[in-house]
Amino acid sequence: MQYFLQQLVNGICLGGMYALMSVGYSLVYSIMNFSNFAHGGVIMVGAYVGYFTLTALGCPFFVSFLLCGLGSGLLAVIIERLVYSPLRKRHAPSLYFIISAMGASIFLENFVIAAIDGTPRNFPTLFSNSINIGGISLGVDSLMMIVVSVVALLVLMFIIQKTKVGLAIRACSYSEKASTLMGINGDLVIFTIFLMGGVLAGFAGMLYGMRFIVRPTIGQVTNKSFVAAVFGGLGSLPGAIVGSVLLGVMEIFVASFNSNLRDLFVYGLLILVLVVKPSGLMGKVVEDKA
Amino acid sequence: MRKSMKKLLALTLACLMLLGLMACGEKGGDGGSGGGDTIKLGWMGSLTGDQAAYGKCESQTLMMLVEEKNAEGGILGKQIELICYDTKGDAQEAVNVAKRLCAQDKVCAIIGPNASGQCIAIQSVLDEYKISDMSTVATNEKVTMQDGVLKEYNFRVCFLDPQQGNIAGSFVKDYLKFDKAAVLYDVNDDYALGLKDNFIRVFEEKGGTVVAQEGYTNGDTDFTAQLTKIKEAGPQIIFAPIFYQDYIMMHKQARTLGIELPFLGGDGCASEVLFDAADELDGSYVINHVSLVDPTADAYRARYSERWDGAKMELNGYMAHDAFLLWCAAVEKAGSDDPQAIAKAYCEVEVDGMAGHIKISPETHNPIGKSGCVERIDGENKTYVFETYIAAE
Repeated sequence: MQYFLQQLVNGICLGGMYALMSVGYSLVYSIMNFSNFAHGGVIMVGAYVGYFTLTALGCPFFVSFLLCGLGSGLLAVIIERLVYSPLRKRHAPSLYFIISAMGASIFLENFVIAAIDGTPRNFPTLFSNSINIGGISLGVDSLMMIVVSVVALLVLMFIIQKTKVGLAIRACSYSEKASTLMGINGDLVIFTIFLMGGVLAGFAGMLYGMRFIVRPTIGQVTNKSFVAAVFGGLGSLPGAIVGSVLLGVMEIFVASFNSNLRDLFVYGLLILVLVVKPSGLMGKVVEDKA
Repeated sequence: MRKSMKKLLALTLACLMLLGLMACGEKGGDGGSGGGDTIKLGWMGSLTGDQAAYGKCESQTLMMLVEEKNAEGGILGKQIELICYDTKGDAQEAVNVAKRLCAQDKVCAIIGPNASGQCIAIQSVLDEYKISDMSTVATNEKVTMQDGVLKEYNFRVCFLDPQQGNIAGSFVKDYLKFDKAAVLYDVNDDYALGLKDNFIRVFEEKGGTVVAQEGYTNGDTDFTAQLTKIKEAGPQIIFAPIFYQDYIMMHKQARTLGIELPFLGGDGCASEVLFDAADELDGSYVINHVSLVDPTADAYRARYSERWDGAKMELNGYMAHDAFLLWCAAVEKAGSDDPQAIAKAYCEVEVDGMAGHIKISPETHNPIGKSGCVERIDGENKTYVFETYIAAE
């Protein structure tokens, strides 16, 4: 029983990490209808910002946590301006966006290798202590991931449901064309979306780096959080969280049964969801999911 | 019409970008001019990717040694030209790079790459161009022999996985006197599999029990499921024949899960990077080719550190040093930079390197009579503590 509960907690912790990453995917998807694969690169840069502000500048944790968000938010906005904006201006099909996003992601990875190096780096220990409840151990860093993703979700929901910018975002998610005709500044909406997604990516990068390790290939981990976002329903924020936690738990149980089946299961699930229920658990119904 | 032109342009640019990506990452080597006034030595290894720290140390060591040798007048009255290429830790890339070194740069011998998978992959290129490779830390059996057949142009200066597995098994059973061990390894990695199989064989022959064997695939970062399972099985030590970044992540997660057991890693774990996570790694063990705290190598470490702005030397620096010594001895013995004469001379020379006396066996192309050393990680002082030497045979 204790073994079962421990694995369950492991799964929720893993899911918490996916959640923090997948919210960024869903956010962009809900407005622009494409999967922003550059998100992984932005997370990776966030982790490096965290590492260097902590070690080289000696910032306290919360300062460097905020700097991560700021750095990644800026980067996401810059990517939008340089890469997506020109495509948007000439109404390119979403396939072009996806390819550009992949390009941006590979660019970021290689840029970091060239500018810094490929050596993995380890965060200084900040919260090494773990919480032990009845023999079940839970890392403080894992707990923070879950808390940050839930808080981030609540803040995002508040912005989207209660503020004027949020109203504009919702309007755009129904029809960008019609909203623009009604006088909504589409550029501003997209700027906000990328800024929010980028800030979350920065937080995710910092927390990921603390729990695991910092290296240029971190971005690839987001592949699974993308699967989680599809599973929960791309474009739905609560769906991203629910999908992530469920995926994390299922993945851990599969791995504890036989660790070789882990990726087989995750990507099998992706195919299954796309074939059987492309809208995922809580997503809006759309034809093209890419 | 204009739109399709634009599309064409975009496509062309995309292709160019891809080509650019493929070309990037390589450094040095200003083309094979082929002039006979220098002796060309090739090196390949990971300058980027997961094993970048090892490859970087190896190439920097060779650059330093070549500089020193050239300042003393070079070899056979000629200057040495070192050409280094990045394999990105990828076997396919290693093949491309080996071809480039052999066909384009026309080197007389190759040192590296720093992983077994890549060394095994380049065999066909070496055979085709009849140019020898001296690998530094490639410990897989198949690097020099495959199915009982000797590979003519593959050599190495380090011990082998079976020997490393032997060392691990003997260390846990005979030195630590533990009876129960768990294994956590990368199921896709030749190196990990070689060590795992031999550890289990020796450990069980000596009467120990392997209570859990858990695998993962390269790229996995979450080991909590496997570690929880291992915790349930109740071992006294966890043998993890993997590379250092995974070793660090495993320790962090194990400590979070309340597992306070020591780990034992192979030579792939031995890195200075470990001390960045010193608290978690305290008390774990690492098998190594040489003791990294051996005072007799202090002067050598200081030379390296001075040349490379205070960089710390990895194990690869010691092994690359020995490979270079062997190469120098072989070139002098051969009396020319003829690749085949050098390959022949490798088995005829003997040198005293950083990792002891080295003589390459003509039957196996492996060094004869090597032993391994086990070191404990002292997290508080951020250093290795020498435990014991264990004979590999």
